[in-house]
Amino acid sequence: MSRLTHLKPAWFHILLALANGAQHGYAIRQAVEDRTDGAVRLWPATLYGSIRELSEHGVIEALEGEEDPDDDQRRRYYRLTDAGRAVLSAEVERLQGLVDVARSSEALA
Amino acid sequence: MRPGVEPRSIRLMCRLYRWATLLLPPDFRSSLLAEGGRDLLQLLREAHKERGPEAVLRQGGAALADVLAAAPREWRAQSMRNTNSTGGGGMADRLNELKVAARALAKRPGYAAAAVITLALGMGSTVAIFTIVNAVVLQPLPYADANRLVTIRHHAPGLDLPDLSNSPGTIRVYREEADFLQAMAPYGRASMNLTGGAAPERVRAVSAAPSLFSVLGVAPSLGRPFNDADATEGPALATILSHRFWTSNFGGDPSVIGRSVTLDGSPVEVVGVAPAGFAFPNPDVDLYVPMWVDPLGDFGAFGTQMVARLAPTISVEAAQARTDDLNARFPDFFEGIESLLDQAGWSATVVPYKDFIVGPDVASTLWLLLGTVGVVLLIACANVANLFLVRSDGRQKEIAVRRAMGARPGHIARSFLAESVVLGVAGGILGVALAAFGISLLAAHGPEELPRLHEVRFGASALILAGALAMGVAVVLGSVPALASRRSTPAGILRDGERGSTVGRSRQRGRNTLVAGQLALALVLLVGSGLMLRSFAALRGVDAGIDGTGVTVVGLRVSDTPSDEAARFFQQVAEEVATLPGIASVGLSGHVPIGGGNNNGGSFYIESRPRDEGDLPPVAMYKPIGADYLDALRQPLRAGRALRRSDWETGTPVLLVNETFSRQHFDGNAIGERIKWDESVQFAEIVGVVGNVREFGLQEEAGPVAYLPMVVGDWSYPNLEGMYLFARADGDRTVPVPAIREIVRRLNPDVPVTSVRTMDEVMAGGMAATSFTMLLLGIASGIALFLGAVGLFGVVSYVVGQRTREIGVRVALGAESSEIQGMVLRQGGKVALGGVLLGMAGAVALSRVMASLLYGVSTKDPLAFGLAPAVLLLVAGLATWLPARRAARVDPLVALRSE
Repeated sequence: MSRLTHLKPAWFHILLALANGAQHGYAIRQAVEDRTDGAVRLWPATLYGSIRELSEHGVIEALEGEEDPDDDQRRRYYRLTDAGRAVLSAEVERLQGLVDVARSSEALA
Repeated sequence: MRPGVEPRSIRLMCRLYRWATLLLPPDFRSSLLAEGGRDLLQLLREAHKERGPEAVLRQGGAALADVLAAAPREWRAQSMRNTNSTGGGGMADRLNELKVAARALAKRPGYAAAAVITLALGMGSTVAIFTIVNAVVLQPLPYADANRLVTIRHHAPGLDLPDLSNSPGTIRVYREEADFLQAMAPYGRASMNLTGGAAPERVRAVSAAPSLFSVLGVAPSLGRPFNDADATEGPALATILSHRFWTSNFGGDPSVIGRSVTLDGSPVEVVGVAPAGFAFPNPDVDLYVPMWVDPLGDFGAFGTQMVARLAPTISVEAAQARTDDLNARFPDFFEGIESLLDQAGWSATVVPYKDFIVGPDVASTLWLLLGTVGVVLLIACANVANLFLVRSDGRQKEIAVRRAMGARPGHIARSFLAESVVLGVAGGILGVALAAFGISLLAAHGPEELPRLHEVRFGASALILAGALAMGVAVVLGSVPALASRRSTPAGILRDGERGSTVGRSRQRGRNTLVAGQLALALVLLVGSGLMLRSFAALRGVDAGIDGTGVTVVGLRVSDTPSDEAARFFQQVAEEVATLPGIASVGLSGHVPIGGGNNNGGSFYIESRPRDEGDLPPVAMYKPIGADYLDALRQPLRAGRALRRSDWETGTPVLLVNETFSRQHFDGNAIGERIKWDESVQFAEIVGVVGNVREFGLQEEAGPVAYLPMVVGDWSYPNLEGMYLFARADGDRTVPVPAIREIVRRLNPDVPVTSVRTMDEVMAGGMAATSFTMLLLGIASGIALFLGAVGLFGVVSYVVGQRTREIGVRVALGAESSEIQGMVLRQGGKVALGGVLLGMAGAVALSRVMASLLYGVSTKDPLAFGLAPAVLLLVAGLATWLPARRAARVDPLVALRSE
């Protein structure tokens, strides 16, 4: 698990986007864009490259056969695995720790 | 992504994006285009709707840049993935797959061994026969620029002489007139006595014009080539030793150059040693002596071979045209032969020297064998492909699960490919070992009739072929199950299991077709070997005209001895041998029946029928025999009397003729007629008619042959140097060969015993070519039949296994076991019948190709064409019956419980 700490920004955003439930790729992209006010845009190559790597690490997984009834085409949905949830909270904790260290050093005061 | 109906900007961006993704690793690219492509399209549509084409270009540009940025990352990730799973890059990845495959195969040793041995048999035999074809038929002769070497053959069909070599006359004309030949060298084979050493030795010599070495472009490795001064009308003055003979008889001593040896009683100087490997025209030659070419050479007396080098820029066709012109002018060079040439239907052919050495029959036999083993290889591949299919069926569920889990077809195909590569390479290695073994066996024990056998080596070309075959087989085999599994959908397989689905049925059809094809090919080979077997039997059944069983042939040779003296010597040897214990009778002749030897003959004169100038002369062969020859070989006397010792002692001019002679020339009343072969000698009287003997080979009908007493008066034979002693053993006793040698040594220590063999061996030699082809075809068809049967057995067994449940139901519902058995037998029978129908068509085609190899049997021989399918069906029946019996014994309870 320690290998996965210090997540790449794209990975972090993807995991975060999936924290509230399964999504397909396009929805992940939109969620990240909305959440960051357009500061982070996941273009397809990066998005699906990341999804692929994350799947291989077992932190997210594809749902087979889940279909959005409103969607005319089949899209593949991804969700966090338990491991993924753990990775995400570990990363949040790590970032939180960094922020705490920075705050308490009074350098930014 | 379907950009067809989109605005132009979107279409453009999509196309650019597609191209850009070519930079990505292929499998990531395909998954990206599947999902991300649609996302991009949606993205661009929204951008277009909200902010127009410009936004499309901006968004698209960013997506493109993203691809470019992702490319190195993805390639790195790809190689990381490989590293993680195997520890080192794509190559290691492949190696790992192979290791996995090898381990999987090792867990099923029976299956792996069957596949490897099957492939090894197919590849090994193909490589071995190809090596022979390559060395004998394809490779140029081992001389400089060997494709420019030719010989000229002559044809006189009107004289019943379809193939003639050269005569001193034709040699003279070509030498003087044929400017289309750069150089030429007549040559002939001779046997000579080498004396002066520990024991007299008979050596095989080639007498060749001094130009031989320059025509062939070969220089002696020691000493000098012949020069024109070496060739004189008298006995040879110089000799060049073959490398082998120099090594074995002179210890490879370089000081042999300039030494004098005694050949046929006269001193000859060793002037050179031929290079190692120089084997003109055969490897058995001991030494070369210069041939004197008579500048006044006569037109007749054909029997000299020649090899010539085409002049630069002259093609074989051009040389042929010039040779035709020259032959048309023959009457200008030789007086009074014009009408003879007309009647003879005279013509000449320029033959590439390699074709002459190899001969058309050998070439076609070898090609046929190569085709045969190619067929065996095909059958072997079909067999292993079937094993593969069955095995991949066994893995259907596993594969379906893997595919459902997202494994791409490529991955699954690769795992099959890895397995087939392991099998192909293992089969190839074993096959190479088999081929190397077979070739060494053949080189040691192959038929002497096979030319250039000494040039056959297991070399690089064999290895390259083996490698190519192994790879080809691996790819073909590996793609078979991959293609099959591509057709089926995982869901279908997981739902249906293995039974009853249309996919399963079409796969079964594929297997049946493969097996039917195998059986068809096996049948083709069976018919082929049946035809060869029939030829062999026909040859064995040929009445040679003599009874050679229990007869031993001993060759004797004198040199520089007047014919009458030589005849006395041979007669004395024969008489002394006849007194040895265990000898029933002893005969003498200058020629071994069936086996060849010196053939003498030509046109002859009949006293009662003087012929006009220009008439076609009668032609016959003759052979000198001793007094008891007919007795020793049990050649029957049909009329008149046999020869007596007194005939040649008193010089009475008498002779015997065979039945064909008598019938052809005297309407069967030959006795009392008088004939002669040479105009200048007296006529001899025909005193007896003997039964026909196949003197010149088992396959050749007996032509007219005369049997002359060893020496009679002034018409002694030009050559009575070599004679053969035929010693018939008494009952079951054996001929005491050492005692015969002892007698010869006592009577004349300078006379070597040249060859000792039994007449049975001579007969076997006459069938060697046929038996060799028959043996190889027989082996090939045996393997083919075995593989075909195994294939059928495998398929029917598999079907029975698949239908166990269904059979159980039938039995439970009251089906008789005989009904079940019949059902399975019918299934196998259908496949076998299909194979037979297909195979018969192939066999008809094959038999036409084989026509020239057959003897005494029609290409449509009903026995071969009837028995071969019967044998095939019998074996197929057995292969089906075993699983059918198993099916009939299915216990319904067990069968139904099994799932």
